[in-house]
Amino acid sequence: MSDLIVLPLVLPLFGAFLLPIVMRTSISIGAWIGPAILAYGCWILGDQWMSGTALPFSLAIGGFAPPMGINLYIDSLALLFAFAVQLLGLLFWPFKIDQETARRQALMLLLVAASTGLALSGDLFNLYVFYELVAVATFGLIAASGSSAAYASTIRYLILSGIGSVLTLLGIALIYSQTGTLNLAHLAQLAPEQLNNKLGLTAFLTILIGVGVKAELFPVNTWAPEVYATAASRVSAFLAGLVSKLALLIILRLLVLIFHQPEAVQVMLVLGILGVITGELAAWRAKDVRRMLAFSSIGQLGMIFIALAIPEQGGLLAVLALTFHHLLIKSGLFMLADGWGGAIEKLRGAAKRSPLAAAIFVLFSLSLIGMPPLPGFWAKFTLITQLAAQTSPLYLIGLTVFLLATVIEAAYLFRLAALLYGPAAEDTPIDTIPKPAGLSLATASLFGIGLLAAALFITPVGDLLSHVAGQAANADLYINTVFAGTGGSQ
Amino acid sequence: MRNLTSLLFAGGLGFMLLAIASGLDFGAPPMLVGGAIQSTAPQETGATNIVTSVVLGYRGIDTLGELSILFAAAAAAGLVLGRRHTTAGTLTEGGFVLKHGGAMLFPLLMTIGFYIIFHGHLTPGGGFQGGVILAAAFFLPLLARPGARLHHGMLSVIEGFAGSSFILIGLAALSEGEAFLQPMLVQDTLGQLVSAGTLPLLYLAVGLKVGAELAGLLSHLAQTESEV
Repeated sequence: MSDLIVLPLVLPLFGAFLLPIVMRTSISIGAWIGPAILAYGCWILGDQWMSGTALPFSLAIGGFAPPMGINLYIDSLALLFAFAVQLLGLLFWPFKIDQETARRQALMLLLVAASTGLALSGDLFNLYVFYELVAVATFGLIAASGSSAAYASTIRYLILSGIGSVLTLLGIALIYSQTGTLNLAHLAQLAPEQLNNKLGLTAFLTILIGVGVKAELFPVNTWAPEVYATAASRVSAFLAGLVSKLALLIILRLLVLIFHQPEAVQVMLVLGILGVITGELAAWRAKDVRRMLAFSSIGQLGMIFIALAIPEQGGLLAVLALTFHHLLIKSGLFMLADGWGGAIEKLRGAAKRSPLAAAIFVLFSLSLIGMPPLPGFWAKFTLITQLAAQTSPLYLIGLTVFLLATVIEAAYLFRLAALLYGPAAEDTPIDTIPKPAGLSLATASLFGIGLLAAALFITPVGDLLSHVAGQAANADLYINTVFAGTGGSQ
Repeated sequence: MRNLTSLLFAGGLGFMLLAIASGLDFGAPPMLVGGAIQSTAPQETGATNIVTSVVLGYRGIDTLGELSILFAAAAAAGLVLGRRHTTAGTLTEGGFVLKHGGAMLFPLLMTIGFYIIFHGHLTPGGGFQGGVILAAAFFLPLLARPGARLHHGMLSVIEGFAGSSFILIGLAALSEGEAFLQPMLVQDTLGQLVSAGTLPLLYLAVGLKVGAELAGLLSHLAQTESEV
């Protein structure tokens, strides 16, 4: 049963390779391949979760026991992320049928496969390969929207992403030159002796900046507003909602398993604080809905980096709460922005045109700001209590910035809400006000329902998250699982 | 201002790397996993070329990822480059020597390409290298006759089936109760042409996919070029 966990990673690749051939003969059959594969992936992962197989477990690819071969490491966190990848891939599926359908859908399948790989892989270089695949598939999907602005933003993203990849590879090379292994569990065993030095710190920083490109870490996040404003909303939603979180997951694993230096954490804290300040201020000044969402996402990810800098397990709980909360909210908001692109001013009176869309926007905004009893409040409250419990003054600066950011967030989100519910400009008839497309609105409503459900069942959700955090924070469990589960199979 | 910060960043990074590199132990790489693989690879995979046993065996899923990256890059380039206008002019054909030289080189390059692919588990080389040579075999005549067309439908069919058969070979192992991409049929014929079980088949898939992909991409680029 647990062997099948490799299928959600491999079948999308299989589908992507075959799609151009099938589409050549029949577009209507080809159009079902992707959704069917993703639905099957959801089913396998959901079944894995429900079947109660003892988590975590490790799966050796090719039958070579780690650290010789590559292994997948499946704990609750990895499973949760992999499931989210398949589900969001399905929700954001590019249904549009035109000349380029085969290429676009193949790229989407590749993106899903690579993201699943990022969630599951237990090998540093294998993570890098999937990280690259995410990048290349993303370039294609952003450029697929076809506008010259999208091409320009793709080129900028490509350059920045290339620099990030080189830095990441450099960090991995440094680690390998020092230890002679790439397996995360093996590295976790060797790290206290061999990477607890300046070289280890350099390796961490280069990987942090490199992977930070996708995690929208300050200062390598300048691509985000342009890309999110020009790419198709579904692509933006997938990138901002999920891919940025998967990059965070890599950093989280590295911090838990390998790098325990206090300097590493401090750098991350400072970059996180700067990210929050710059992101929220820029969002406050933004004149375009999607840019505003992009800058707000930079700010939110800064908050997650601040949470990641808290060394104890409680910090990890705050990270997970903020992460999954932001995943729900930003995906939903970008789906709403599908019809609301362009200048904010054009949305005057949009609540009359589409009351449901405006209501969902207000719901998301309230949760994003942290209004009880919505889940956003609990996520932020966890972070505040954790920050307040720290003694170092840097954390108190983080706390202050965090609270200020919430005020700014409230200011710009309510400004937009006031516009939506305000009177329409006199010279615009009501049916010219933009409105989200039906399918996007339905998807956004799904995220809204998910958010409300999480608010209703906040206690079980909280228990689940602390269980997941406890498992993810346990480095010894990781090492023992990887070397016990497959040891001696060769 | 922006130039200055870039300069500072590049300088700082360079200094840091020099400082780190000066402390590294050159010529004494830690062969922790590498050494272990060197001593067991021929027995476990049946391939005398240890690089092949790493690329297709120990780190087979990395190779699958790299194939996918190449595929994603080709698909993305295809999306951006778009289609050729029917009105676009063509470049003039090459001379007698170039045309016939290209035609004569075609079988030679094909032979070398397939030789390198089929001997990937024995000698240096393999699917990626052989695949590039196959692509060159198709592209060379195209350079000599810019008006000629490659059969894109055929190429994408080869490419799709080669890529999916890589995965199918992996899934076959899974359905036999082994791990995904586990080398199978490894017999005790180390050093023979028929050895190393499924590894040569995987390399054949890699070679065909890389060859078809690159040939298609190059001819696509050449056609877009002649639009201007």
